[in-house]
Amino acid sequence: MNPIDVRIHQVLDGELALERLPLELRVVVERLDAAAALLAAAPAVAGLEARVMATVRRPGPSRVQRLIRWFSVPHAVTFRVRPVWSLALAVAVALLTLVPINEGKGPVVGEHEGIAQFVGRFPDAQTVHVVGSFNDWRTGTIPLEDRDHDGVWRATVVLPTGTYEYMFVVDGERWVTDHLADRLIEDDFGRENSILIVRTARR
Amino acid sequence: VVARVLGGDREAFGLLMRRYDSGLLRFATRMLGSRDVAADAVAESLVRAYRHLASCRDPSRLRTWLYRIVANRCKSYLARRTVADVALEDAPPVADGTDNEGALERAEQMALVARALAQLSPDKREAFVLKHVEGLSYQEMADVTGERIPTLKMRVHRAREALLQALEDHG
Repeated sequence: MNPIDVRIHQVLDGELALERLPLELRVVVERLDAAAALLAAAPAVAGLEARVMATVRRPGPSRVQRLIRWFSVPHAVTFRVRPVWSLALAVAVALLTLVPINEGKGPVVGEHEGIAQFVGRFPDAQTVHVVGSFNDWRTGTIPLEDRDHDGVWRATVVLPTGTYEYMFVVDGERWVTDHLADRLIEDDFGRENSILIVRTARR
Repeated sequence: VVARVLGGDREAFGLLMRRYDSGLLRFATRMLGSRDVAADAVAESLVRAYRHLASCRDPSRLRTWLYRIVANRCKSYLARRTVADVALEDAPPVADGTDNEGALERAEQMALVARALAQLSPDKREAFVLKHVEGLSYQEMADVTGERIPTLKMRVHRAREALLQALEDHG
């Protein structure tokens, strides 16, 4: 593609009179003008207006139909928020993310205390308690619960840090060793006690 | 007329159509290279224009607004297919028996120019047609295309050079 003389563009853009152009350049202008004139012949298409007006005259969809269509077609939803509000939103999200939401709702743990969780599977039990050196082996003080009735009983308690021995008491009379404990130890009655080590919950 | 259409007078849209549809159809035909495809594009564009007429904020610029809708529709068509090799279908029909020879020659010239135009890239073709066939000012072209005026001027210049080259190649 060869660039054409800038004066030809000036004439075609109405910035220069045709008469100021040398004859050999006028030929180029005339050729482009002739091409444009040929292209300016309007093509006729029968029925275009009738076709468009048939659609225009057709009753539009009802409000319900428009609503259904609105809900069934994907939409890009754009929120326009002032920067100050977006900053506030970011701070709120950060606070919610970084600050534990159960602060104050969980068990209160002292400086020299830790959290102990007891879990045992007793599908046919009516009651389960945990007894140990932390409650002087007294039944009825720390009950386990099976809220979803799946046979797994649980209890969470706060205990002073230290090492304890314990057992489960099922239905008030059956003493059961927790074999899931990290360690077991034989007691003075020939049974095995489970060992629980409670470490401080604070870091 | 725009206010009448917006007020619910659907028939008034026919008045708008009759005023602009021949130019829009010519523009689309030159862009797409086929009168039938162009008719589809213009019909779809006019229906779209009717449905969104309220968004035409400045009725005095209705013409460029319509050209913009048609231009966008043509670009969608072109994105799906290449420009049809233009045949003699867009030439004026040979109707006058007394001047058959002249009409035939004119039809051949028309086909030559249309083929040369089809060689241009869509951007250049659009620029040339809007400027030289539809007679829009650079400001109106900017309204239609969303481009800056210096960009459009440069595009028209390149389009003229490309068209001359294509005419020489086909001539």
